[in-house]
Amino acid sequence: MNKLWENIFKTRQKKKDDINDILIKIPVFNDLNSRALTKIKRILHQREYKANEVIFNQGDVGLGMYIIESGSVEIVCNPERHILAQLHEGDFFGELALLDESPRSASAIAKTPCRMLCFFKPELLDLLDRDPKLGSKILFKLAWTIGERLKTTNQQVKELSCSTYSTKPIQ
Amino acid sequence: MSRQAGYLMKIAVVGIIVIAGIALLTAVSNIVKMVIISALLAYIIDPLANFLESRGMGRTSATVAIFAAFFVFIGFSYMAFLPLLSEQIYALQRGFSLEKAGIMISRLEDFLLANLSFLGVKDLNLLSRLENAMASTGGWIFDHFLDTASVITSMILIPFIIFFLMKDGREFKKAFVSAMPNQHFEFTLYLFYKLNAQIGNYLRGQFIDATIVGVLSAAALWFIGVKYFFIIGIFAGLANLIPYFGPVAGATVAVIVSILQTGNFQMAFYVIIAFTLIKLIDDVLIQPVVVARTVHMHPLVVLLSVLVGGKLFGILGMLLSVPIVGFLKVVAQESINNYRRYREI
Repeated sequence: MNKLWENIFKTRQKKKDDINDILIKIPVFNDLNSRALTKIKRILHQREYKANEVIFNQGDVGLGMYIIESGSVEIVCNPERHILAQLHEGDFFGELALLDESPRSASAIAKTPCRMLCFFKPELLDLLDRDPKLGSKILFKLAWTIGERLKTTNQQVKELSCSTYSTKPIQ
Repeated sequence: MSRQAGYLMKIAVVGIIVIAGIALLTAVSNIVKMVIISALLAYIIDPLANFLESRGMGRTSATVAIFAAFFVFIGFSYMAFLPLLSEQIYALQRGFSLEKAGIMISRLEDFLLANLSFLGVKDLNLLSRLENAMASTGGWIFDHFLDTASVITSMILIPFIIFFLMKDGREFKKAFVSAMPNQHFEFTLYLFYKLNAQIGNYLRGQFIDATIVGVLSAAALWFIGVKYFFIIGIFAGLANLIPYFGPVAGATVAVIVSILQTGNFQMAFYVIIAFTLIKLIDDVLIQPVVVARTVHMHPLVVLLSVLVGGKLFGILGMLLSVPIVGFLKVVAQESINNYRRYREI
């Protein structure tokens, strides 16, 4: 009988630790203590997607970010379904939607059966209202993450423009 | 053709479910009434719990603290106002002392008999009719508001429901959103988020507006010297939730009481001036500040809502019908707008 209870608690504990392990690797949450992580876990939505199921469509109003708990996701650009990125366990996408309500710039499709953790704007605003300290910490890290992505994009644009100029014949 | 039949089938099923739902809700109207009141109050108090949470309290302790403060407030109010309120309702139930009013009504009756006899007006017996009407109104208020069993049930159940809606409201919302299929999940959450802001502002605005108008009316009537100022003030505040007819209803009750009290129109004249001023203050100062969003409704819609509300849930249904129809209108409007926006962008 004891074994049974041990197993039940072990499974629960393992699941909890798994989510903690995933969250701690996400830059937005990586310097939060376990108490703050518990608060975050409470407001995350957990969803399951079948293989080839659409997570969101390009053009939909975005409401927040998705974190891949397990499985892999393809980010595709319509209408040709050109693959922009392939994301796996522990990766995240859609974080810009936490700040504005502009339409999604690409579609996200589950490549394999996926479990996702979803962190959305209403919950972030509610958190800012109830726990301004934790909320502003997350907001700061979010700004930092988006800044990092911007730096990477700038670097890629620079490299692309350099390579374009270098291949052009000098007139 | 088969697709059309499928649509018709779906519409028929939805129609049957809606009718069955309404029938069920009507059958348990008392419980529905309590849940609606609790949900509205929980919505109004929610920002207070959020504020306490932002000061470092847990959700449960914040809710408990609000309830403790509320019960202390109710305790003081009970000691200060309930004797006054119950005395006024008992007095209303017993009927007025109609000595002065009697003389005036007799004069009015004579005047009507003398001038309108060609219309077949005879033997009006206004005084006894009015006396009976006032006594039965008082009895009706007594039956509906101060019926001991229902008061005790409501006093236990409403705080109980509010407590759990406040403490676990987020979990209820999360559970509801979780039950949505993947393709509608993000949109449902988006709709919740948009509606929450709109409806929260609307309900809190209406509540603050009704409270201020109620307090102003009671204070003005007390200053003028009208009897039953407290109960008329409460009625005027609640009636203010009904656009167009509400303010007139509050003023009418106060005017009738003042005429019956004094037997002349002097006090009634002051009452009309006071209510006009309160309406002016409400329109110019209070509403633009506290009611962030007014739900524009056609007077006919207001009238029908009040009648249906009254038929289904009695006087409370009449008072809450307009805010509830306003709430449903905002829900429908925002759902359609946001669905279009969500799909079009």
